[in-house]
Amino acid sequence: MAGKFEVIKAGLETSVQDFPGRYGFWEQGFPPSGPFDMWSFRLANILVGNWPEMAGLECQFMGPTLRFSDDCVIALTGAEMNATLDGEALPLWESVAVAAGQTLACGFASVGARAYLAVSGGIDVPTVLGARATFHMAGVGGVEGHALKDGQSLTVGGGEGVHGRQVKADCRPPIGGGKEWQIEVVQGPNDDWIAEEGIERFLEAEWKLQARSNRTGYRLEGPEWIFADKASAKGPEHGEHPSNILDHGYPVGSINLCGQTPIILVNDAPSAGGFINPFTVASAAFWKLAQSKPNDIYRFHRVSVEEAQDMRRAIDRLCAEESIR
Amino acid sequence: MKFEPAKFLPGGDHFMLVQFGDDASIDLNFMALGLTAALKAAALPGVVDTNPSYNSLVVEYESDDISYADLQTQLERLIGGLGSVEELELDSRLAYLPVMYLDPWTRECVADYSEKITRRGDDPDFVARENGLEDAKQLARVHSGTEHWVVAVCSTPGLPLMRALDPRCALTSPKYNPPRTWTTLGAIGVGGLSTSIYTTPGPGGYNLIGRTPVPLWDPRQRHPIFKHRVVLLDAADRVKFVPIGEEEFGYIEARVADGSYEFNITAYQRFSVGAYKKWVASLNADGRF
Repeated sequence: MAGKFEVIKAGLETSVQDFPGRYGFWEQGFPPSGPFDMWSFRLANILVGNWPEMAGLECQFMGPTLRFSDDCVIALTGAEMNATLDGEALPLWESVAVAAGQTLACGFASVGARAYLAVSGGIDVPTVLGARATFHMAGVGGVEGHALKDGQSLTVGGGEGVHGRQVKADCRPPIGGGKEWQIEVVQGPNDDWIAEEGIERFLEAEWKLQARSNRTGYRLEGPEWIFADKASAKGPEHGEHPSNILDHGYPVGSINLCGQTPIILVNDAPSAGGFINPFTVASAAFWKLAQSKPNDIYRFHRVSVEEAQDMRRAIDRLCAEESIR
Repeated sequence: MKFEPAKFLPGGDHFMLVQFGDDASIDLNFMALGLTAALKAAALPGVVDTNPSYNSLVVEYESDDISYADLQTQLERLIGGLGSVEELELDSRLAYLPVMYLDPWTRECVADYSEKITRRGDDPDFVARENGLEDAKQLARVHSGTEHWVVAVCSTPGLPLMRALDPRCALTSPKYNPPRTWTTLGAIGVGGLSTSIYTTPGPGGYNLIGRTPVPLWDPRQRHPIFKHRVVLLDAADRVKFVPIGEEEFGYIEARVADGSYEFNITAYQRFSVGAYKKWVASLNADGRF
């Protein structure tokens, strides 16, 4: 039986997302959207007995306060937001039975940046272009195309749900309190626009995450880039700056060099544009991007295409019933 | 025409960039769109999404279903099957889009930029000067004198990246630096070799020369034309701009708003690259309308 919950306080930017997001419309200008930390998101769903794909909430930096109108089972994963259920501390990585009338209150993220809330039966919003994921820049998907607002009422799919389950400690993403992260990258596609010493500098440097970062792009601060001769000895159609290139498609995760500022293009990024992408972040490292905060430090570690694929498979294997006890 | 063999470059663990060449030759876009069509027809297991552009195509794949090496082999096979660029024939609809050139709304955008960011003159005059045209009126005549080829639909939902098919109507102009922070919806911009239409009221760098009252996408899918597709145009479609005045703009805007606007798109033609190139070769390349 379907149920409902009411949004008392929406939080900083809380959106409905599903896994893996919106596919098949990239060539019409739609990014995939979907949960930024897909590892935590899927485990939340599995905990409550949902399919890993079902729609849940992504809570960024400061989570929402929600009142449940019906009995259900919920699970919170990802960032520590010091959540309470009717004032009692709510454990992370555990499925919990909620009785009609109870209130879930989340605070600021103290460890990590994004928490994920799964509700038994999933959140029932209309499917737009094959997905429930919110792409708020264009007002597509989720609740009327945007992040949650105070006073809204959302419908959940209902169903029994299973409470009292936990994710085994070694199956969770290791979200710690540290400010330094190693981010795996694959070299390319436009690495030949950067000089050899520029490639080395990128891999050796510390990169600071700027505050102006969101689900579209992560801006980084670090040393100057050193371009290859190709970047200046090019046809005028490519544009004036060494980082300009004739418009081309942007892989999700690409490190897009806009002048001297690298921007990691993430879930809601534009599908194309006129800047080079010398490296691309491995999809298995996205959870680290999702859980880091402004002023955190990234160091990039180069891996091969096959190594990056193996890392993604290893996470996929953990997003399964076997990770639950 | 013969090309260098395509290059295959990795974009992380689930994207591959197929680069047909380094320059802006329109033949490279025909090849990219030819491969996109062939890839869809082949329905290869593991191919998730495609994203063509000026001279390249990004393919997203699922590595559990197809390896990087196997995907490259399959793409090389499909490219081999395309033959020469002259042999390509692409499905291509023709969309007639009303546009008010030199309109008050995009002028307001430019004035706002001039006031808040950095001083600049009138965009249509600037583009006319850059291209050796008499004035902004001739710019409108030249811009509406050709079919515009949709190179890609990208960046934001439904946004067409286009270039003039008639070389007598080709325009080039530098883009804004720094970019605008907002652009009115439906603004027609030219920058680099491209013409585009703003489908979201966001930032932008193209010079603004007109505005269309016709929506290019509708996430709510209200109008029947958006019932089965959310965006109006696809790559390889063509656009013909039809100049209108302010009164006509208001009339169409009202019909769009009440849902009675009749979109004008024909879908009975295929685009033959060979026939197109033969026609281009027959033209007086220095001619201007």
